[in-house]
Amino acid sequence: MEMRSFGDRPPAPRVIGAVNWRGLWTLYLKEVRRFLNVYTQTLLAPIVTTLLFLAIFTLALGRSLQSAGGVGYAEFLAPGLIMMAIMQNAFANTSSSLVIAKVQGNIVDMLMPPLSASELALAHAAGGVSRGVLVGLAVGLAMWAFVPLGMHSPWLILFFAVNASLMLALLGMIGGIWAEKFDHIAAVTNFVITPLSFLSGTFYSIERLPDGWEAIAHFNPFFYLIDGFRYGFIGHADGLPGIGAAVVLVVNLALWLLAYRMIATGYRLKA
Amino acid sequence: MPPPATLTPPRRYGRVNWLGLWSHYRRGIRRFLDFAWESLGGPCVFTLLFLAVFAVAFGAEREIAAGVTYTSFIAPGLVMFSLCYTAFETAGFSVLDDKNNRTIEDLLAAPLSPLEVMAGYVLSAMASAAMSGTLVGLMVAVFVGLPMLAPLQVLGFAFLGTLLFALLGTLVGLWADKWEHYSFADSFLVLPLGLLSGTFFPIASLPEVGQTVIAFNPVFHVIDGFRGAFIGYAETIAWQGFLLVGLLDLLLAGLVWRLFARGYKIKA
Repeated sequence: MEMRSFGDRPPAPRVIGAVNWRGLWTLYLKEVRRFLNVYTQTLLAPIVTTLLFLAIFTLALGRSLQSAGGVGYAEFLAPGLIMMAIMQNAFANTSSSLVIAKVQGNIVDMLMPPLSASELALAHAAGGVSRGVLVGLAVGLAMWAFVPLGMHSPWLILFFAVNASLMLALLGMIGGIWAEKFDHIAAVTNFVITPLSFLSGTFYSIERLPDGWEAIAHFNPFFYLIDGFRYGFIGHADGLPGIGAAVVLVVNLALWLLAYRMIATGYRLKA
Repeated sequence: MPPPATLTPPRRYGRVNWLGLWSHYRRGIRRFLDFAWESLGGPCVFTLLFLAVFAVAFGAEREIAAGVTYTSFIAPGLVMFSLCYTAFETAGFSVLDDKNNRTIEDLLAAPLSPLEVMAGYVLSAMASAAMSGTLVGLMVAVFVGLPMLAPLQVLGFAFLGTLLFALLGTLVGLWADKWEHYSFADSFLVLPLGLLSGTFFPIASLPEVGQTVIAFNPVFHVIDGFRGAFIGYAETIAWQGFLLVGLLDLLLAGLVWRLFARGYKIKA
């Protein structure tokens, strides 16, 4: 059998500059295709769940409650529910990707190629952000059919949607690297992510909390995400959106550094 | 030629292979406990969060009817939701996991009748549900108090609701070819049935069409009868709901048994 001939020499290795753009793009595409392949689970299911939550909360509370800022309860609730879907999905994307890769052992396919720690972190984070933003868009459109959603400030909505996705994608990465089996990451989801996203003012204005709790709520970064995102829609916030935006940026920077460091040192990734 | 003396004679058993059924059942329970953080922790956290959110958003002491506070109204529903959801999840997960890993072939090759195979899945799912339901019930009792006016009625409805969802989970597990199908049924069938069931609101708060539609949701009858047994406030007549759901359980059990006997999606 005749070997395919390359002439005198095999082809020269691809020259990679400061950034391995093709590798970065390929890993990013893999992260996006992972969730698009199962769109019933990743896009349609959040729509149904969110609409169910909207239904039960407005049916149970709707008429009896006038929320702060003078908007109806459904208009108050809708942005919070969209944000909750964004957060849970961004977290799920990065955490499941890493845990599955570790459990199945194909994590080596990610560690072997010429990708730097920051490229690995960036591709995963971008995958999580894409899912978060896409889910937010899908859920928001579905919600729009039932609740009149105004837009006070589209830029703020976009800012908080992207930064919420980024925060949760980074948390998912950190959790996914830390976890050694599925049950570990389920524990993080159940005991950290879900409670924080539920108790961050999605369903009520934090003014309704007893004084001590209201102060504590201000230490919860998720509160700023939801509050700022809601401000973008209804033009009313419990806190100050400017301070919220600053807090969110600082938290994201810190999480990025942590995630980068974990990947760079190979914590629970390399033997 | 007589068999060598060292060979043990085959085990004899009567009409029911109790040892086989017990082993199959125990395997289901172990699988459930292997994922305890998710399988037991999930319902507990979910329940506490809903109680907290509703208490804050609605006011813990607010009354929904004379003498019935809102938290005491949703508390029994949350327990039932945990029971049903755990039963569904455990049964569906077990069957589909066995199909995916092809360990279901070991079950089919074992001397277990179709009814015993089905019973092992359904009973272990029901026992797992009882664990998570009890845990959630205790938690609810600690936080908001859970009077129990009619304990027998509580057990009766708990049994019927758990059985219904264990059977439903088994059915979905048989039908699903992959996890995506399972979560499709979870998101688009079980969650809507469970959440739009009058757990969180009295049906009087629905428009009339909604009240008619919800009467077709068996979960509504289970939850209403269950809640009535706890706090004495009900919107339907308990024995009618009991009969209705009991009948549905029987029908579903017959269907699932038949599918196992035919080898639906499990035998080539």
